[in-house]
Amino acid sequence: MKMTSLPGFRRLLLTASVAAFSASAVEAETLSMWVRESAADPGKLMVDLWNTSHDNKIELTAIPDSQMITKLATSVQAGNAPDLVSFDLIYMPDFMKAGFLTDVTDQLNADPHYANHIQAYKDIATYEGKIYGVGFTPDVSVLAWNKDLFKAAGLDPEKGPQTIAEVVEDARKIRALGGDTYGFWFSGACPGCNIFVTSPMMVAAGSKMLPKNGTDDALTGDGVKTVLEALKTMWDEGMIPANAETDTGANFVSAFTTGKIGIAGTGGFLISLMAREHPDFNYGLTVLPGVEAGQVSAFVGGDVVAIPAKGKNEAAAREFLTWVLSDDAQLNGLAKNSILTTRTDLADNEYTKGNDKVLTTAKALSVGYVPWVFHFADMVNSDSSPWIGMLQQAIFDGDVDGAITDARAAMLEIAGR
Amino acid sequence: MTDAAAPLRRPRVRRGEYLAGAICVAVIAIMLWPLVMSAFASFKSPAEAASVPPTYLPHSFSFDNYREILTYHAGLFSYVWNSLSVAGLTILFCLALSVPAGYALARFPLPGKEVIFLILLASMMLPFQALLIPLYLLLNDLGLMASKPGLAVLHTILQLPFSIYLMRNSFEAIPKEMEEAAVVDGASSFFALRRIFLPLVAPGVVTVALFAFITSWNEFIGALILMNHEDSFTVPVMMTGVMTGNFGAINWGGLQASVIISILPCLIVYLLLQRYYISGLLSGAVK
Repeated sequence: MKMTSLPGFRRLLLTASVAAFSASAVEAETLSMWVRESAADPGKLMVDLWNTSHDNKIELTAIPDSQMITKLATSVQAGNAPDLVSFDLIYMPDFMKAGFLTDVTDQLNADPHYANHIQAYKDIATYEGKIYGVGFTPDVSVLAWNKDLFKAAGLDPEKGPQTIAEVVEDARKIRALGGDTYGFWFSGACPGCNIFVTSPMMVAAGSKMLPKNGTDDALTGDGVKTVLEALKTMWDEGMIPANAETDTGANFVSAFTTGKIGIAGTGGFLISLMAREHPDFNYGLTVLPGVEAGQVSAFVGGDVVAIPAKGKNEAAAREFLTWVLSDDAQLNGLAKNSILTTRTDLADNEYTKGNDKVLTTAKALSVGYVPWVFHFADMVNSDSSPWIGMLQQAIFDGDVDGAITDARAAMLEIAGR
Repeated sequence: MTDAAAPLRRPRVRRGEYLAGAICVAVIAIMLWPLVMSAFASFKSPAEAASVPPTYLPHSFSFDNYREILTYHAGLFSYVWNSLSVAGLTILFCLALSVPAGYALARFPLPGKEVIFLILLASMMLPFQALLIPLYLLLNDLGLMASKPGLAVLHTILQLPFSIYLMRNSFEAIPKEMEEAAVVDGASSFFALRRIFLPLVAPGVVTVALFAFITSWNEFIGALILMNHEDSFTVPVMMTGVMTGNFGAINWGGLQASVIISILPCLIVYLLLQRYYISGLLSGAVK
């Protein structure tokens, strides 16, 4: 009944859509680009800069983070994909494997700037020897500490914790200030936040995290246990606010910016956020530590930019990829706006000079890791993933060894699919 | 009523009234509480709206959140206009299909009528997400992707089973004698529908329109998947965007301001049409 009623409208609707199509055909040089919402601000800065100096204009559309994968997958399959897409780099392996992206190997290998591209971005965008994208708007995890609270607790406000043990000790002293001041914060029900800020401490302490396939190593080494026990200690002793247990990330950033938290893992994005919203906040950033001083790591995050398969304006889209690695884009698009560059040879530039916080994040970017795995969403990002299950079972339920064993088995099962 | 009788009856009535009144006030308070909190939060400064623990009343009065959504990406008015036009088309499509369908199902001796009706209702029992990919491909083949009529067709498909159900009940509630009188006077089926039935099922029509509006206005996932450009997104897509920050961080102030903005049209439409809505929902409930 529905189907027989539809053709009556169809002609009218088709006419309307043909009109819409011919209107867009006139602006053939306008490229469409999707960017995930949380990377829309830096993405827009880059695209605006491109648009001022190029004839082919780019039109940016922000897609809510949680829906990016669904939307991109459906649109590629239906042949409606945008000309360019900027998305969370962690989904590169799945998209490359599915054949959703255009191979840009020859172009990038011929590009002299690509040799200086940060290794983590090169790795995550390579599949079976072919390259499918470049790092676009980077981010990286670091550890933030509140200098005022450090001072009040009798700690050196200019020196952040250098080991996991120091994190616990410092947090304890800050909690001793009493009231609603707490030593440490982490979002206990946010899988993405914790892979970003908690897993690098495990890696720094010598652990390997996620398996590439069903027979790979998963959660090996002592680092996982060391970090879980440290967090459990802080939770048991009340150094972490009670609402951390159920926080799905809503307070991932805002908990620290209230000024009531001594130490928290965070990202490089904090620098511009603080400058904008809390310019007088007295805080420091350091690289996420391991067991011994000098052991450091970070999670290299942010967005990669790629060209979806079957794009209509591939040649123009390729130009954009080349431009992203150019001096103009790196310095005037990223560095000038307090965003890290994705080229190592430009990390130290006129805009970062003397800015300790930005230099800390640049260092984190160079020592950081990014897990190259399929099924990252199931293994880590979903609300019922083994990753978040392990954290909750270990920290809030107190069963550290059982949590690791269970999570390892579940991760291998997912990786073996 | 005489003065002598009044004093005897009044106390008892009053006690009942007070009780009913108290219950009403309590229910209203529970219902309004989230809305009022939302409205308060929308006038807080962005930093205060995100503060932990949250404050109940705004410590400072600020339009920053509204300013933010006003200039958010394509601009608030672009999203509102998209939502309104898609909702308008959805109402149009829903009525154009459900009124004749309800009329036919209620008034004509169709063979297998009940089976057809059940099949129509069956799509209500499937989660919409399960239909999304097939619908997406279908609309893509029809050339309706990324267009307002296409999204309106999708919303119509969502809303149609309920609309037909409601219209059928409305038509069935009209006494058979009225139709017979029209037929005796020489009216055709179409004439009877237009001149006799439609005025009588007006409450049902208004209810269908109201529900179609609310469904279309609030629908998120279809609007997001189907539309491809910032300037074609609807209000719910904008709201999700406004809300999203890094790693699940939530922009509370912006979110509450867009909640208030998105409630307004629904509230206005509902207040204008509520009289019809109540009687429409009840039509056919008791036979």
